[in-house]
Amino acid sequence: MARVGVFICHCGHNIASTVNVEEVVEFAKGLPGVAYAGHNLYSCSEEGLGSIKRSIAENRLDRVVVAACTPRTHEPLFRRACEQAGINKYLFEFVNIREHCSWIHTKEPREATEKAKKLVAMGVAKAALLEPQTEGESAVLPAAVVIGGGVSGLAAAASLVDQGIETHLVEASDRLGGLLAEVTTIGPEGTDARETVRGIVTRLEASPKAHIHLRSRVAEVKGFVGNFEVTVRGCDGDLKVPAGAIVVATGTKELVPTGEYGFGQRPEVVTQLELERRLARGERPRRVVFINCVGSRQPGREYCSRVCCNVTLKNALALAKASPDSRIHVIHRDIMSSGTAAERLYKEASESGVKFLRYGLERVPEVVAGRDGVEVLVYDETLEETVHLGADLVVLAVPMVPPGDSEATAKLLKVPRDKFGFFLEAHVKLRPVEFATDGVFICGSARWPVSARECIWQGMAAAAKASIPIKEGKVVIQAITAEVDPDKCAACGNCVLACPYEAIEVVERDGRRAAKVNEAQCKGCGTCVAACHNDAVSQKGFTSGQLSAMVDALVKAALEVPR
Amino acid sequence: MNDLARRLVTIAFEERGADHLLLMAERHGNVGPVMVEKGQDPGDARVDVPYQLVNILSNLIPFMGKAKVAIVCRRCDERALAELAKRGIVDDASIVKIGLACTKEQVERCRCSDCVPSRVDIGEPAEPCPDDTLASELSSMGTEERSAFWMRQFRKCNKCFGCTLNCPVCFCDDCVLEERTYTPEQGIPPGPAFHLIRSFHLADKCVECGECERSCPADIPLLTLRKMVNRDMRDLFGYTAGDRERRSPLLTTLDDQPLEDDGHAC
Amino acid sequence: MTEFSPTILAFCCNWCSYAGADLAGVNRLQMPPNVHVIRVMCSASVKPEYVFKAISQGIDGVLVLGCHIGDCHYLTGNHRTAKRIPVAKKILRDAGIDDRRVRLDWVSAAEGEKFQQVITEFVGEVKALGPNPLREVRM
Repeated sequence: MARVGVFICHCGHNIASTVNVEEVVEFAKGLPGVAYAGHNLYSCSEEGLGSIKRSIAENRLDRVVVAACTPRTHEPLFRRACEQAGINKYLFEFVNIREHCSWIHTKEPREATEKAKKLVAMGVAKAALLEPQTEGESAVLPAAVVIGGGVSGLAAAASLVDQGIETHLVEASDRLGGLLAEVTTIGPEGTDARETVRGIVTRLEASPKAHIHLRSRVAEVKGFVGNFEVTVRGCDGDLKVPAGAIVVATGTKELVPTGEYGFGQRPEVVTQLELERRLARGERPRRVVFINCVGSRQPGREYCSRVCCNVTLKNALALAKASPDSRIHVIHRDIMSSGTAAERLYKEASESGVKFLRYGLERVPEVVAGRDGVEVLVYDETLEETVHLGADLVVLAVPMVPPGDSEATAKLLKVPRDKFGFFLEAHVKLRPVEFATDGVFICGSARWPVSARECIWQGMAAAAKASIPIKEGKVVIQAITAEVDPDKCAACGNCVLACPYEAIEVVERDGRRAAKVNEAQCKGCGTCVAACHNDAVSQKGFTSGQLSAMVDALVKAALEVPR
Repeated sequence: MNDLARRLVTIAFEERGADHLLLMAERHGNVGPVMVEKGQDPGDARVDVPYQLVNILSNLIPFMGKAKVAIVCRRCDERALAELAKRGIVDDASIVKIGLACTKEQVERCRCSDCVPSRVDIGEPAEPCPDDTLASELSSMGTEERSAFWMRQFRKCNKCFGCTLNCPVCFCDDCVLEERTYTPEQGIPPGPAFHLIRSFHLADKCVECGECERSCPADIPLLTLRKMVNRDMRDLFGYTAGDRERRSPLLTTLDDQPLEDDGHAC
Repeated sequence: MTEFSPTILAFCCNWCSYAGADLAGVNRLQMPPNVHVIRVMCSASVKPEYVFKAISQGIDGVLVLGCHIGDCHYLTGNHRTAKRIPVAKKILRDAGIDDRRVRLDWVSAAEGEKFQQVITEFVGEVKALGPNPLREVRM
């Protein structure tokens, strides 16, 4: 028979100003299985936790319910407190009566109090049925795979080998450096791009821990955090690389315009990368018109691609300085040059004779044939006039977009993408260089268009994060995974079809077919549970018995009272 | 051994190389499922008696090893076998289906719209029934009237589990509806959840064999309810149970089995 | 005779809709006090059995809230939810239970306002439907 302890939190006046905490405590005392009910001003404080631990000891409690804020922040804290008081950390249930109650019903304190009571009744019903769990551990292979040999991948790989971790860098093309290998300088300071790449590559090549695979792709990824098997497919066949962590640094490519401004028809219209190639060859066209935001910051692709303005500015400046009679124009829809260096570059470009004209999406510029070269007709919003600009070259500053194989990569690694096709990190602020899928990390423009410098930072950050499980040598598996009762299982395969991770399969054991969960692969989503007809597969901590008891508790508290 | 039995025995053992034949037969004055080997006398074969032979087969599978069993199969039986084969519960290679076309009376009793097996070995194909009149009536009723009808029906249920035991596609040994998890009511009748959950479990596999309705001692029109839900599956996914190749839309992603209206909130 | 105040159950997934509900709370977005949340890891783990059970036992409305399609923390979990719940609703309707008592919707972790809107709308709709007639049914 469970002995549940219920602790209602005042949370200062965040809960107590709306919910009558003492009334909820009295109500909780009458719930089946409750051996103790009390309240705290701030349950999460030293004092609050201490008081909970004391009550556990004094009342020989074996289950704990805390009714307070949201489990998404403080669940680990209270779980630890339970452990310290000698209760298995999975015998704890959190009831949200702040974000989900006191804060959203401030004008209805009576109703909020009644609702809090029902929520507590539901929490107690579940807690009474919770089972102790042990967290499993899985060993981590001491190696990493970095997918993509651009600057972010290079930075990640270099950081990893610096830590003594065997690192395999997989690059599809025949050279390292990615997009940086195709540009001249990196704005706004104008650092030499190839020098930057060479610097990191030299470090890498010097380390015996680095294994660089050019002209290679990742063909298959099997396994889970700590235990990946990555198949690297090169010209001379497949290599199966065991790895503990994977870093995705697959980068981006330039958007290829679909005929805008005569691209494809007029040889004078090129993209920014093409300009970089010409600049590298020493070409310095005299009359150049840059058109910014071609294909970005508009319906369908609303984002700003971060770097193009700086690239335009540095290239415009270089061209303006190349010759006294160069005529350089930048047609833009805002100049995004954030930070002091970029702002200085903008000023310098302007002072060096680069002319800036603003256009709007409602009247985009037009490129027509000119007397020599082409002519760009632009309706300048400030002048409120159409200006004709002669040009030898029209440079389209196009955004970075995910490479064509990003969907395939996403499927390979089972990681999500946003609506533009960029990969999605686990949490924008709290986990920016990892995927929600454990053991897989993300850096560079594959996540979002970023500058070369940011690519390097992110590469180092991803490497730092990836090294954690590798250095620890093991990962803890949260005990919310699925488990099968083989006696109930009819081996119908519903769960196998439903699982997004291929973490469950039907196997033969003792002459009987039944489903079996791969504990380390299982993410604890419960999709299999809802696919199973007779509760043969259940999810620890969220069993059908527990959730049904919550429904029963709500029915009892809400409907079986005289109305 | 009547002529029909002789015919079945020939088909099973001479023509199709089976090791056993499962059929309904009359022996010693009793009509029931009979399984014979080559050379054995099954008695007088009967196809006028409705019975779920697929159910018997499922229960025998653990004891059959690699033996091939010939089974007299109506169209619904064939589709039920497809559903079980999809799930690895029966093995296609071990089953020989002897196609039995239902008579006009049988088709009408089941209000059957898909009554001709893919291969007809016995019987003459009859015309399918256009619809289940009760289902149509219920669908055009208002919510309250329909509710009154079904609640009256469900109230008769005494949890005999005849429907689940005799259903060919109900494959769980321990039915979750025997537990109190979802149907906590004490005694009988069970609450509506019993019938709603059963309907959901069958939604992607019911082949409308009608055995549930025939087994119900309380005469609840269960087959009608099955047909209404199957119609919903057709409307939502263009899905009909009994297709060997098509997986259940309830288990696959929207890419594999899209909703007619693209899976938005409802 | 007091005005009918529905009792509503909501299943919210940890990564999206529960977080969205938290955000609504943090922003003090006010809403009617009729909805009681059960936290699950993924909307795909919400068994239609719970929905049938709740309705059968007299709960006036059931909300299932998950991540937007394509954003599920568990990749394609919510695809199954997207297909199961409409089937559950049809079964309710076939049995004569108003299927507007069950609603499936998608609320992301960033959509506190949408959470408020869905709750407010759904409570209003269920209120208009009146008490669940199955409350009175003595089987």
